[in-house]
Amino acid sequence: MLTLLRDLRHLRRSLALPAPDRGRSLAVRHVDAGSCNGCEHELTLASAPQYDLERFGFGIVASPRHADVLLVTGPVTNRMHAPLLVAYNAMPEPRRVVAFGDCALGRGVLGLASELVGSVEDVLPVDVRVPGCPPTPDAVAAAMIELCDRVGV
Amino acid sequence: MIAAYRSAVAEALTDGRRFAGLHATAGGALVRAAFAAPDGSIRLESVAAQDGRVPSIVDLVPAAGWDEREAADLYGLGFDGHEPLRPLVDHDLDLEHWTVPVQGADAYQIAVGPIHAGVIESGHFRFHVVGDRILHVDARLFYKHRGLERAAEGRPLEAGLAHAMRACAACAVTNSVAYAHACEEALGLRPTGDLARVRTILLELERMWSHLNDISAVCAGVGLAAGNTCFAALTEQARRLNATLTGHRFGFGSVRVGGSALDLDDGTVAGARDEVSAIAAVARRGWRELLFNSSFQDRLPDIGAVSLEDARSLGAVGPAARASGLSDDVRATSDRLAYDGFAAVALARPTGDARSRLEQRALELNQCFALLDDLLDRRIEPAAAVTGAEPEAIGIGRVESPRGATLCIVEQAAGRIERLRLRTGSYANWPVVAHAAVGDLLPDFPLINKSFELCYACVDR
Repeated sequence: MLTLLRDLRHLRRSLALPAPDRGRSLAVRHVDAGSCNGCEHELTLASAPQYDLERFGFGIVASPRHADVLLVTGPVTNRMHAPLLVAYNAMPEPRRVVAFGDCALGRGVLGLASELVGSVEDVLPVDVRVPGCPPTPDAVAAAMIELCDRVGV
Repeated sequence: MIAAYRSAVAEALTDGRRFAGLHATAGGALVRAAFAAPDGSIRLESVAAQDGRVPSIVDLVPAAGWDEREAADLYGLGFDGHEPLRPLVDHDLDLEHWTVPVQGADAYQIAVGPIHAGVIESGHFRFHVVGDRILHVDARLFYKHRGLERAAEGRPLEAGLAHAMRACAACAVTNSVAYAHACEEALGLRPTGDLARVRTILLELERMWSHLNDISAVCAGVGLAAGNTCFAALTEQARRLNATLTGHRFGFGSVRVGGSALDLDDGTVAGARDEVSAIAAVARRGWRELLFNSSFQDRLPDIGAVSLEDARSLGAVGPAARASGLSDDVRATSDRLAYDGFAAVALARPTGDARSRLEQRALELNQCFALLDDLLDRRIEPAAAVTGAEPEAIGIGRVESPRGATLCIVEQAAGRIERLRLRTGSYANWPVVAHAAVGDLLPDFPLINKSFELCYACVDR
């Protein structure tokens, strides 16, 4: 255990992003509306010690009822359309939506039109657009900081 | 005709051959079942649909259950003898049509998903439980069904690559190589040694980050933050190495049909080899720490156990199957890849539980480091496949992904796709996960699930 912790301290010293300049926080709920799993893998690594998104005050929360931000990945499939709306409708106001990744932005989507509803924009009001296939973990941090600046948290 | 198909399937299952996939051809005209021999060769058995019906083979091959249900939902086929034929991709039917009825005192259901508490793909699990004890699990996936295969029909062979690759980011390289192999077989092409080597390197790079990620995920499932972050950091390093070598963190676009454009000089390849050994050093130290962490180790034994017989009949593949004592590994017979002299690693005591699956992954991760060390010994140059066989209407590629054997079948005419079918290791293993959880406690399910660490995206397609 001590070895693990020592390695982690070293990693944070050598690789981590600079510390945030002021305290702020957003609670994020993620919904996969039909992604290829690339966006999910990159979002997961936003918690890796190299980025450590929690240090900036951004955490993934288990329920949309506790969330400020709905982060949606993937083109919206027929079968995820209704669950996505349920999650959005469960969120308290004020709420913001991040369309995360090229599929969510409706760019370069493959698949049958009859199996897809459309981009996130076609379904929900989108506040922040994060391009990339998939966006890197740094892009997650950048998008969250931009949103904080915009809503003045 | 019908009897001939069933007896051919029964015969195909002898001599150590195992079921590898079943699909309906375009328009639902035929059903083809694939069987893999121990030498890696694939045998196809086909039957023509009569009035939209074909005989089922689930009684002979339980592993074909999902394949038949998918063909019924997407191609409108009926399967005589598959009763009840529950919907798999079709979500329009009520609960009683797709769940197994569970009755008795105190039995009740817990519905989980499609949206989960963490950053996880979408899928629904319906647990039938008494107290905390799981009696049965109905997994309902395909929430992410994008129709990738059907959208590829009619497109040129080169265009289909994106459909296979984008089915799943975690298996992007495997799916791309399987697709490239299938197309090359259809076009009568053979890879040169250089082409085989570069693809093998890309496959092992994918396996490296994937196995590091899976160990991290099991630590997260147990709640061991130190192990989780240690292996997450290594996953990040491995993905950065992918980006350095291929220009993409998941290797998107690194595989092509008929050749490879990857051009890396000696210095870059040597740097990659050093990075692999740096990752390996920390991973081995981290793994040793996990082995001696009793609170971590106490959580793993005896949960989600899959016996050797069940692994075989349910069609388990990959590290999960090897953790139950099956020795199948497509790499041992991949003559289109550079796995000369490869032998699958095996645990001393494969017990088929969550601990065995984790330890099997750790063993294979070590083997992956050694393979990369061997393969990254000189520069990587562009390479092309050469003409070496007769073109065929059906091309088959079979590649070992981090989660097990992935089968890609391309049926083509005049260079256009008539049918694309991708059956990944995750597809084969999902029914095994549901089976593994039976008899265990509900709070152990996330850990059992993580010990398989399957994708939803390449199943749903």
